[in-house]
Amino acid sequence: MLPDTLQNLPRSERYAYARLLAYMARVDEEITVDELAMFEQQLGKALLSPNQREVLRRSLKSPPSLEECLEGLGPEAGRLALRDAVLMAASDGTVDDDELEVLKEIADHLGLVPDAVQQLIEWTKIGYTWMQDGYDLLNALQG
Amino acid sequence: MFCDGVADLDASERARYADLLVLIAAADGELVREEIQLLEGFMGRAMVHPEARTSIRQGLFDTNRLSNLLKNAEQETLRYVLRDGVLLAAADGDYDRRELRILKKIAAAAEVGEDELKSLFDWVSRGWEWHADGINLAKLPARKGSLSE
Repeated sequence: MLPDTLQNLPRSERYAYARLLAYMARVDEEITVDELAMFEQQLGKALLSPNQREVLRRSLKSPPSLEECLEGLGPEAGRLALRDAVLMAASDGTVDDDELEVLKEIADHLGLVPDAVQQLIEWTKIGYTWMQDGYDLLNALQG
Repeated sequence: MFCDGVADLDASERARYADLLVLIAAADGELVREEIQLLEGFMGRAMVHPEARTSIRQGLFDTNRLSNLLKNAEQETLRYVLRDGVLLAAADGDYDRRELRILKKIAAAAEVGEDELKSLFDWVSRGWEWHADGINLAKLPARKGSLSE
């Protein structure tokens, strides 16, 4: 996890970003611990107020529609949300068909190149290998 | 795939994990937004209770608790702190000597040698490259500067 430009966006954009991730977490109608941990991580990184975080946590139970989520999303926040939505979709080990469909819908909405989602999935795989390396390194430290 | 055991630690260990990260963030005497962003992200990923986060944030103003935390934290917690602490220390693009000093103290408490600590720094550098690729891929404006050790 590394810092990025998310923190430079206005709060309303960061809120819209996190709302889309909340929607993404519920696409396959179940939230794994990994997805929840990833959601909480991104919620933290978005530097939202405790009240906004609480509202977003509640929205996990009854998320708004995708159209509503996309409404308040500017181009930069949208691309960040798509990138992190891919990370979150992959956090339980697979990107299933429902998740893939939504990711492509978001990419279309943002006017990205047709293989944008596939490129982000490939990037995500490299990232998870890197994270696994860090985990392996920790395990090796145990001796 | 998102393989991390921090959230599996006991609540008290997760609080110590976050407390120690706060000390690393505050080590160089200034707290930039990138560091706050990462701190909040780490507390989120560790699923620290929202109320506990409030008191942990207060730790930014009380930096004299290191020895107690090192004495009480479990080895596993200290290793997570070390990994994420190196990431955190790199957040503003550079490692400050005071951040390095505190990381070395944590490494000593976790019985992690210099070579192993260097491996963690190398791992963080690789992560920065991966992260920069992601920013380019999404055609996002790149952050200024690059990481230097």
